[in-house]
Amino acid sequence: MGSPVVRVQGVSKTYYRDETPVPVLEGINLDIAEGEFVALMGPSGSGKSTLLNLIAGIDRASTGRVEVAGSELSALSERELAAFRSRHVGFIFQLYNLIPVLTAFENVELPLLLTPLSKAERRKHVLMALDVVGLADRQDHTPRQLSGGQEQRVAIARAIVTDPTLLLADEPTGDLDKKSEEEVLTLLQRLNKEFKKAIVMVTHDPKAAACAARTVMLEKGALIAKP
Amino acid sequence: MKFLPLIWRNALRNRLRTILTLAGIAFLLFVLIFVMTGLSEIQAWEGVAATHRRVVVQHAEGLTAELGIELENFLKGDIISRHAEYVCKFNWFGGYYQDPKNWPPEFAVDPPAMKPLFDELKFSDDTYRKFCETKTAAICGIALMKKYNWKVGQRITLIGTFYPCNPELDIVGEFTTKDPRQEEQMFFRWDYLDELLQNKKIVSTYWMKARSDEDIPRLKELIDAHTKNSSYPTETITEKEFAAQFMSMMGNIKAIVGGIGALVLVIMIMMTANTMAMAARERVTEVAVMRTLGFRSGQILAIMVSESLLVSLLGAGIALGVSLGVFNGLKLSPSPIYFPVFLVEPKTMVVALGAAVTCGLVSSMVPAVRSARRKITDGLRQVV
Repeated sequence: MGSPVVRVQGVSKTYYRDETPVPVLEGINLDIAEGEFVALMGPSGSGKSTLLNLIAGIDRASTGRVEVAGSELSALSERELAAFRSRHVGFIFQLYNLIPVLTAFENVELPLLLTPLSKAERRKHVLMALDVVGLADRQDHTPRQLSGGQEQRVAIARAIVTDPTLLLADEPTGDLDKKSEEEVLTLLQRLNKEFKKAIVMVTHDPKAAACAARTVMLEKGALIAKP
Repeated sequence: MKFLPLIWRNALRNRLRTILTLAGIAFLLFVLIFVMTGLSEIQAWEGVAATHRRVVVQHAEGLTAELGIELENFLKGDIISRHAEYVCKFNWFGGYYQDPKNWPPEFAVDPPAMKPLFDELKFSDDTYRKFCETKTAAICGIALMKKYNWKVGQRITLIGTFYPCNPELDIVGEFTTKDPRQEEQMFFRWDYLDELLQNKKIVSTYWMKARSDEDIPRLKELIDAHTKNSSYPTETITEKEFAAQFMSMMGNIKAIVGGIGALVLVIMIMMTANTMAMAARERVTEVAVMRTLGFRSGQILAIMVSESLLVSLLGAGIALGVSLGVFNGLKLSPSPIYFPVFLVEPKTMVVALGAAVTCGLVSSMVPAVRSARRKITDGLRQVV
């Protein structure tokens, strides 16, 4: 494995519910190497998604350092964080979260609108990403015209279209039937092996976690397996 | 530009809601354009009137009372002639042509005085000669000729409403002028009207031209003092005052127009704000997803405001299209008596567009800012 693409050091996260502190993560240390596929497991409320959000740069740690692709996230402004996410992070949600009024093509194109690519270049990238997930023939379909598995594959195409450093998946198979679940997991494995994408996947499902090269367990906001 | 498809799709996300909002905006802007056009037409007459030194002598009780014919001698006499010229009897006939809906502004005048008094009306010497020679002659503005498809040489009959007679008039010529409103008018001879009225010598107003601006107050003093104790006390006013008085019969129209304009804007903003708030509420998660993809808060704000602007401007486009088509294209007027011409002016279009832009910006600002500022993690957690 290569050098760490993600370095989490002494990270804690505390939320406040009406001024009452609710600690979610405490003293997390975790390194994820380039091209590594890591599964984050743990019971509900253990802080898996919170950790994923901190790595994605959509939430900030209360203490500690989160370094991704060489950027120390707590030092970045909101604007810089947005640019960081656009450049380095591909996010896959449990509920796909496609924009319902856009076609599959337009959904995948969305992150590319933030780049200086021309329309022709964007088109090329989008078709390539849709081809990788096996949905090039569904580019004109809206999310409503797709099955859950297909929606998630479009969402994966959207996550990889900018060729990000890191793919973050929050229970990507949590809302899928068995067949679609297998397709999505196979796809993630392919992205990891063939395209050398580092992947961090939150999951409850041991079978899904088995696809990863390493599993990290969280319980009550603390890691219980060695990083 | 690359965000335009996204903005367009989002604006049309809930078609029924968007169509209803669009229709509401279009209707309200149409009302705004309508009342503003009415106001600008009034101001246009006042504006035209202010450019001439024409003075109007009317009965102190107003336009419904009559003046004596003997006043003409005094007005043409030495005392007044030092301050004014071209004294012209001027009666608004107020009849219709064929149908009560066709109500062109018709005035009975004295041709020799009328020509220099209304020197902005351009007609040929031949027309003027025929106007003087033919008792039943009428001259008409070219817009009026076109409106009723009249031809020079044609005989037309006006049906009197408050004058109990129906003049049969021979159109002897047409006139042009810079102001399209005046091209909707027609003039015929006062002596012919008088003949039809059995020589009752009814004069509703006398018009004349002051020799200078300084002569106007002196004319008012002299004429009104002369008639003070007569059976027809007069009120001498400028043409501008006359125009304002005529329009004031419709009430304090400027205040009404201002009130309607403000009301239209407030209703429009509230209606669009409601739509935008609903749209924003439905898209909390989507906004959070877009920000996760790397969209900045400012970009989200701009996209949401642009959606609102797009809907508002489409509404403005519909309202302007209908207004221009109905008023400027088909030349329809809500009241041919008060508004022989009812034209939407460029400044009215600018105000309508300005109102649409204001509505688009103001109505979307609060929901857009709230969406853009919401924490991404909160947005992703939201179940809509």
